[in-house]
Amino acid sequence: MTQWTVLYRKEMLEMIRNYKVLWIPIVFVLLGVMEPVSAYYMPEILDTLGGLPEGTILEMPTPTGTEVLMKVLSNYGMLGVLILVLGAMGVVSAERQSGVAGMVMMKPVPYSSYIISKWAGLVTITLISLFIGYVASWYYTSLLIETVAFEHIFQSVVIYSIWLVFVVTLTLFFSTIMKGNSSVAFVTIFVVFAISTVTSILGKYMEWSPATMTEHAGQVLLSGELDSSFLLAFITTIAIIIVVLISSINIFKHKELLE
Amino acid sequence: MELLKASDLVKRFGNTNAVNRINFYIEEGRCVSLLGPNGAGKTTTLKMLSGLLAPTSGSIDFKGEKARDLRPFIGYLPQYPAFYNWMSGKEFLVFAGQLAKLNRKEAEKRSEELLERVGLTNAKKRKIGGYSGGMKQRLGLAQALIHRPKLLILDEPVSALDPLGRREVLDMMREIKEETTILFSTHVLHDAEEISDDILIMHNGEIVISGSLGNVMEKYRQPILQIEFESQAADWLKSIASYSFISEVNTQGNKASIVLTDMVNGKQTLLKDIVDKKIPVRKFEISQTTLEDLFMKVVKA
Repeated sequence: MTQWTVLYRKEMLEMIRNYKVLWIPIVFVLLGVMEPVSAYYMPEILDTLGGLPEGTILEMPTPTGTEVLMKVLSNYGMLGVLILVLGAMGVVSAERQSGVAGMVMMKPVPYSSYIISKWAGLVTITLISLFIGYVASWYYTSLLIETVAFEHIFQSVVIYSIWLVFVVTLTLFFSTIMKGNSSVAFVTIFVVFAISTVTSILGKYMEWSPATMTEHAGQVLLSGELDSSFLLAFITTIAIIIVVLISSINIFKHKELLE
Repeated sequence: MELLKASDLVKRFGNTNAVNRINFYIEEGRCVSLLGPNGAGKTTTLKMLSGLLAPTSGSIDFKGEKARDLRPFIGYLPQYPAFYNWMSGKEFLVFAGQLAKLNRKEAEKRSEELLERVGLTNAKKRKIGGYSGGMKQRLGLAQALIHRPKLLILDEPVSALDPLGRREVLDMMREIKEETTILFSTHVLHDAEEISDDILIMHNGEIVISGSLGNVMEKYRQPILQIEFESQAADWLKSIASYSFISEVNTQGNKASIVLTDMVNGKQTLLKDIVDKKIPVRKFEISQTTLEDLFMKVVKA
């Protein structure tokens, strides 16, 4: 067994022991299920809560299945990202702070193995959470509203996962260069939302941006077809992920461990 | 045989040289202690030797060859060992063993051996988070030994322990000494005197004294008179300072240690003086300067 697998297994074991492997998917499932449920029961909820004057007639069209699922994706884009970043912020910084990163690196472990195993661990938990949450959401949507073609769902979730992988890669990067957990989370979230905002404001010039993945995911969901600019965005996103990973490794190499 | 040799090793942090062009070598099978006050550069030196810190300049040779990655040959116990607190002691050792390229079976077997040896067999299934300081130190020692390193580097292995824990770790080191070369840093001089073969004394980033313990002691040893008075005798001590055979007088409360150049003559003159002047003396002892005296002299110079 190579050192990489030993480290990766340790990452997974750690997430099992501290229940991350449970609560992150649960949050994604809740976020995913809440949307179809609340869309379906909205008229009743308004009714019971009251507050509307007697005789008001409220026309509430039930949203279509795709609309609901797009809402779910946008929830993942806000709260989902927040949860992932908060869950991943200490991935390197906490180990550096406690000194255990030094205990690992004084064994003949390549620096790249250490960072890549962390990355693989984060990607695993991200994909598990996203897929489970989204499938749950799809199930409730088809139960309560209408069935959406599964292949559209699948394509859109794959595209969306690229964006979340990008987010956790950034978290890993900031966790490598900075020390405080909360500053890691703050900076990562700031950067992620800055990228999203700039992309949506300067749409035309930002077709390569990783944040367009969220739009492409919605597009596939709606029409089942990919926009022509997808390939460009896909290639740049993968390239940025690789560059960020390589620089994380190089920065980690030059950090002083065991202070 | 020379196991490890450091040549012109420098480590610079900002504008200061934490380690300033040091040269030394470690012979195979010896137990070497690295002494020095806090901030002398001991930890920085050890980290460079263990491969955790890249030297600014200079080179480290291992078995006569310029080493690229020393980590496979070295077991390192840092001053404050840290662990994954959610792992059990045994899990951590197996993990460390596998990282050091043992296969799972070997790692398991070696872990059991080492747990037995450092006396943690009963606690092997407990979470490391619940270990005491002494237990963590012993686990740290075990993880450093897991891959049978050629050189074991220990950074202040006993400084943070209570007398009992200190005794345990020192006894273990004495055992390990039979199998592998040890380099350890300490500022407890008594420990160094007790188990090391060679000593290196560092001060301000430089190695000021090195050699085998016996040779160094021999070379710097001076006869010394230790007198304990019943009451302060500052006046008398001042008056004897003018004798030509006295090179140094140090007072600590009612005790004085006097370094003499000529023991035979000096002893008699001083004894006579004491009798003549009726100085109340409780103890009058002839001894030799210790490592501590040498250390103080080096550091204060």
